[in-house]
Amino acid sequence: MALNEKALVATGEAGAMAGEGVALPPRTQTGPAWEAAKTVGLRAGSIVAMMIVWWLLTFFFPPTLIPHPIDTLMEVGAIVNTGQFLSEMGATLRRVGVGFAIAMLIAVPLGIVMGTIKSLENFFEPPVILGLTMPGLVWAVMAIMFLGLNETSAYAAVAITIMPMLAISLWQGTKSIDKDLIDMSTAFHASAWSKVVDVILPQLVSHILAAIRYGLGLAWKVVVVVEMFGFSNGVGYQVVRGFNVFSMKQVMAWAITFLVVMIVIEFGIIGWLESRVTRWRPRIQAWRR
Amino acid sequence: MAYVHVDSAVKYFAREDGGDMLVLDRVSFDTREFGTTCLLGPSGCGKSTLLNAISGLERLDQGRVEVIANHGASKLHTPRLGYVFQDPRLLNWKRVEENLTFALKGMGIPQQQWPERLEKYLGIVGLAEFRKQFPLYLSGGMRQRVGLARGLVIEPEVLLMDEPFSKLDQLTARRLREETLRICGRLKQTTVLVTHDVEEAAYMGDRIVILRARPARVIEILDNPLSPGERDIDDSRFIQFKKTLLQSVLRLMETNEVQS
Repeated sequence: MALNEKALVATGEAGAMAGEGVALPPRTQTGPAWEAAKTVGLRAGSIVAMMIVWWLLTFFFPPTLIPHPIDTLMEVGAIVNTGQFLSEMGATLRRVGVGFAIAMLIAVPLGIVMGTIKSLENFFEPPVILGLTMPGLVWAVMAIMFLGLNETSAYAAVAITIMPMLAISLWQGTKSIDKDLIDMSTAFHASAWSKVVDVILPQLVSHILAAIRYGLGLAWKVVVVVEMFGFSNGVGYQVVRGFNVFSMKQVMAWAITFLVVMIVIEFGIIGWLESRVTRWRPRIQAWRR
Repeated sequence: MAYVHVDSAVKYFAREDGGDMLVLDRVSFDTREFGTTCLLGPSGCGKSTLLNAISGLERLDQGRVEVIANHGASKLHTPRLGYVFQDPRLLNWKRVEENLTFALKGMGIPQQQWPERLEKYLGIVGLAEFRKQFPLYLSGGMRQRVGLARGLVIEPEVLLMDEPFSKLDQLTARRLREETLRICGRLKQTTVLVTHDVEEAAYMGDRIVILRARPARVIEILDNPLSPGERDIDDSRFIQFKKTLLQSVLRLMETNEVQS
């Protein structure tokens, strides 16, 4: 013990001189640009590879089943040029957007309540789990039967299909909240509003983003089903029309436009949002090569 | 300007098997007015519970905790308490200065005072140039200083510190102890510091309240014969005082063993 202390004193002085605690150095300068280029390259390569597989498949199947990729891309061009793209995609996006917003408005408070209050957790758990297992098709049928063939039923079907998934994500996220930070905010007399906005929601952000990702994926799948049932516009309707005239080219072309829009939303908007709300977290990727 | 008066504090915790466990057993003491009072005891002896009771985070089952402020006329004013936690409990998604304004906002301090306070207290803990940084980009010692600055920025009458140096490496802890002692002296702060480290108690405490464990009970209250300026961990008088403290603690551990 005595020896230990001597050593502590001797080095302690030096430590005090040098000053403890230096901020982490900025990230290495050679890295990011090259890493970004590599990421983009790999993603582009993956798309090219899929196109090649598609092209190879055209040798084994008649064009009525697997249209040539170039023909299909021309069809995509035609869809975009005639302005059909904007109106049909706009209708679908609106249904997804509104349904998604409704689901979020219900799921966020529901999930937070389920994560905080034990009795309400027990009460809401069965319907949420049941709702999760219910196929989107059933919700779509029920929505149309109750509300008729109109926009409201499309919104309702989308909202109710993705709601359980969003609620579960928020519920689990709320349970993992750091209680010590709540105590801290109580010690500094933070208002209830401040506790939610400054302490709880920031801890839920990554859960909310994951929920948005899965939720959107699910919403697309439901909305085309709803549109197939007899709507007169939207991407789902166009796919059915392609099917009715047995034009695989049209079906594929609409699917591709759809995918492009999804990719823009996923990598563009959500990716940007994510990097913005998590910039307080140092990027440590040494474990991931 | 204020001191903490604890009068036969009793606290039970509910046990897993449904029974009650006594955590605080008629704990009574007064802190010093100005200066630092250390609550010294083995780990898990209920020191943090005591601190939480003082801050109002935890309710006592019996007894009283009072923070008595001698303001002369303004008796109606409730004393302001600052809290510094073991792992600093910062909001990692907020910048250093936003962590401080979070406390200022909570305590209802008028916004026009914020810039001046931020500058003063970030300067005192030596973090003025890091005010725009996010906590996770700082070292452990610096994060602890942000926690200290957050406790100080509200200019509390009583500052509660819960083992603030125990998660730091020895050298950083030592340096931060020296700084905290200096800062608290300069600000005429009443501080209550919880620790299980005898040397830390001898170094930081003007008064040391020794607690035994399970349930926590006050064994001895000692006043430090050395003023903060005289405390030097190599000085023979300091070593002597540390020995006295250590003996009290060891004696109490023996009696604990005999009882159990």
